[in-house]
Amino acid sequence: MSHNTVPRSAGEAKNPARTPAASGDGDGEGERKGTRARSRDPKRAGRLSLRLRFRRDRTLLLMALPAVLLLLVFNYIPILGNVVAFQEYDPYLSENGFVAIFQSPWVGFEQFERIFADSAFWHAVQNTFVLFFLQLVLFFPVPILLALLINSVVRPRVRAIAQAVMYLPHFFSWVLVVTVFMQIFGGAGIIAQTLRQHGIEGFDLMTNPDTFKYLVTAETIWKDAGWGIIVFLAALSSVSDDLYEAAAMDGAGRWRRLWHITLPALRPVIALLLVLRVGDALTVGFEQLLLQRQAVGVDASDVLDTYVWWNGIRNQDFSYAAAAGLIKGVVGLALVLTANKVAHLMGEQGVYKK
Amino acid sequence: MTPNSATSAPSRRSFLASTAVAAAAVAGGAPLLSACGGSQSGSKDGTTSGKDAAKILPAYVASTVVAPDIPAKNGSAAGFSKAIPTADLKTSVTKKLGSGGRLRIMSPFWGTPPKGDNPYYKAMNEAIGVDVTWQNQDGVTYDEKLGAVLASSEIPDVVVVPGWNLNGKIPGAINAKFADLGPYLSGDKVRDYPNLAAVPTEAWQRGIFGGQLRAIPFPAPYVTDIAPLYRKDLFDKKGYSVPTSPDDFLSWAKEATDARSKVWACDDMKWTAFNVFGVLSGSDKALWWNMDGGKLVNRIETEEYLEALEWTRKLYAAKVVHPDAVSGKAGGNAGNRLTSGQVLVYSQNISDWWGKTAEQRTQNPDFEIAAFDFFGPDGGDPKLWAVQPANIFTFITKTASEQQIKDFLAVCNFCAAPYGTKEFMLTAYGVEGTHYETEKGLPVKTTQGVNEVNGAFDYTGNPAPYIAYPDFPDVTRGMVEWQQRMGAFTTKSSFFGLTVTEPNRWANLADSFEQLEDDVVRGRKKISDMQQAVSDWKSKGGDELRDWYKKLLDDTGSAN
Repeated sequence: MSHNTVPRSAGEAKNPARTPAASGDGDGEGERKGTRARSRDPKRAGRLSLRLRFRRDRTLLLMALPAVLLLLVFNYIPILGNVVAFQEYDPYLSENGFVAIFQSPWVGFEQFERIFADSAFWHAVQNTFVLFFLQLVLFFPVPILLALLINSVVRPRVRAIAQAVMYLPHFFSWVLVVTVFMQIFGGAGIIAQTLRQHGIEGFDLMTNPDTFKYLVTAETIWKDAGWGIIVFLAALSSVSDDLYEAAAMDGAGRWRRLWHITLPALRPVIALLLVLRVGDALTVGFEQLLLQRQAVGVDASDVLDTYVWWNGIRNQDFSYAAAAGLIKGVVGLALVLTANKVAHLMGEQGVYKK
Repeated sequence: MTPNSATSAPSRRSFLASTAVAAAAVAGGAPLLSACGGSQSGSKDGTTSGKDAAKILPAYVASTVVAPDIPAKNGSAAGFSKAIPTADLKTSVTKKLGSGGRLRIMSPFWGTPPKGDNPYYKAMNEAIGVDVTWQNQDGVTYDEKLGAVLASSEIPDVVVVPGWNLNGKIPGAINAKFADLGPYLSGDKVRDYPNLAAVPTEAWQRGIFGGQLRAIPFPAPYVTDIAPLYRKDLFDKKGYSVPTSPDDFLSWAKEATDARSKVWACDDMKWTAFNVFGVLSGSDKALWWNMDGGKLVNRIETEEYLEALEWTRKLYAAKVVHPDAVSGKAGGNAGNRLTSGQVLVYSQNISDWWGKTAEQRTQNPDFEIAAFDFFGPDGGDPKLWAVQPANIFTFITKTASEQQIKDFLAVCNFCAAPYGTKEFMLTAYGVEGTHYETEKGLPVKTTQGVNEVNGAFDYTGNPAPYIAYPDFPDVTRGMVEWQQRMGAFTTKSSFFGLTVTEPNRWANLADSFEQLEDDVVRGRKKISDMQQAVSDWKSKGGDELRDWYKKLLDDTGSAN
């Protein structure tokens, strides 16, 4: 397979940039690499006893241990707390919110029935999906394009500056981002005031519920697109210059080289990130939306996460929120399984393989 | 439930219910019936008044160090506009009551909190004898943190809770998590803390949560705390006269708005509208209800409520409201829009009258704001509803030791010192020479004083409502007189003075109304959507809640 060398290096290159969320399969990764080292005869590797395999991978397993522990403590154990979704949970029943779980009455699926009957919930679901698709179409390609752009810059100084400028907004808080947008696109912002001087009234992007989804996407792009290019740059840097030279020798122009060398090199990374993104589809922003909730109203701004937060934390209806969170989790799982399957069908690694 | 833009704290300096009013409430108050929904039943919902309340309320021992030069009237605060020379200040705390122990206090803070180890906090801690560590949280979003903090097992020793944050299950949480102060304060025990003994009884009555005296209340005038504040200096310059009816306001607003020069007539006026149209008070959930023609009616069911929203909607539709106000919290601080002259009128806690004046005068000697009088829907007299006589509470956790509770009461007693005492000067103005200078006999805060002596100790204990700004006598007089004029139009609704814990199953019933109001006034939802929401509210439990409140009223009687 022609992309045999490329995807592997790209796959390795992406590792440093992987987020903690993905570090859970760290041991699996380690094992795979270990196996690959002696993969001349895969059957033999499979026959190694468990103990031998443990001894062989000892170091790697030890290295993975802290991440696994963190994952257990912060991601797996709290899953048990979901039982409150089947209760009328009142955290104030006892001195300790945890003990209160044992004292709260069970109500079966009552919370779920309430949720399904709540039009605000369905509104939040709808908003979530609309935002997800918009972000997929408008946001997802931007870091790839930016990475290609940066990659084409030859002078290291210019490149470093461009990268720094693009990364910077990622470190701004959402409050700051929203304020900056407000100062520019708000009803009393620079654009609105300039237009007013010329007799044009009514420019206000910040409080228009109809265009809110585009506004949110634009904010996300401004803030995070630069950060997103890191993964792609890493993948690009691992493409051997020989390939480009050989292609150029054969008379391939800029676009042909892009199409036949650069993009295939990025393909596995794109597929992987796409699967991860789809699995995360129901998470489309939280602080950002909460901050602008009053500006456009609940109907336009409420997504699943803000819905859960508002009902659970703000209004202390914890069981209701837990049930909504559980629904989100189940749908998210189905999405990631589906996306992974599609990735396999396309001949990519995806997130995991049996 | 005050405007979410509440940027300035209801400062301790801003309120008062004179001792005279308090005495009248005790002596002439309605004969309270016995029995209570809460104290005996395990669920702790309901309220406590009458004989049950009498058993746990602290005794009232008046203490007047200085007679106010503007006596309280019609539920107003008492006004002190004359400075007391340092040499004449009395001592109200004769010996240090604190044991030197530590207390962590979580409190809302409006503005930018000072550093934790600043000279003001140090001086206060030193004087009280308690090592207080402040966890100041943003007051505007305080309600968003409170539920989670109370659900955790690590609650700060002392927690300050504003009444408008008592939403959802918070009252239940308070009953579960905070200590009963009855054993330390009930009856004559309060005499150990003379300044607390001078706190009016109707304020203490508000401190009864779940059948026990749990809160140190922050006494407040019962006159509405929301005032329509306007830039008097700019009004004078432009020759505007103060609007006298809703229609008048709208036409003035259209004239005054000049968006090209970045001037809008007003900010969000929803809370002014509620008062103009005589909507039942929204500041406390029990005040939403009132007995009308033998039937309990909720504010959201009234015609007035819809009229107020409709008028506010017209203001938004006429584009006379600042565009950033449309964005709500994301739009930034409403107070800054007023001081920068981008808006001319805004609805805010009346304490901003002093707050903004004190803040701006240092840079702009001409800066002047005032509150205009509420007018009725047709331009006549308004019908106003009383707010609770105390609406900020301070609690200490159940897990606190006896020593910690005593230290806590020492802090509260110190901060409740009346005007004319050394303790008051330290609490309100800080350390002389550092936080304020005496100029021409008047205490004038330095920049350091403005930054540090603000919030925090303001909420932990206060004497009867008062307004005392000797450095701004006109402001003091203006505020008290406004309260007295508005107090004359003020009526107490059925649950005035009572702290009610609603049963859990209905606690979240009205959660969405504030958001819906904001959507309606901004034209994103229609009045008919509101009517639909009200009818949903009724069928989802509003009518049952009405019966519950009715029973409560029948069982315990009204407090006024």
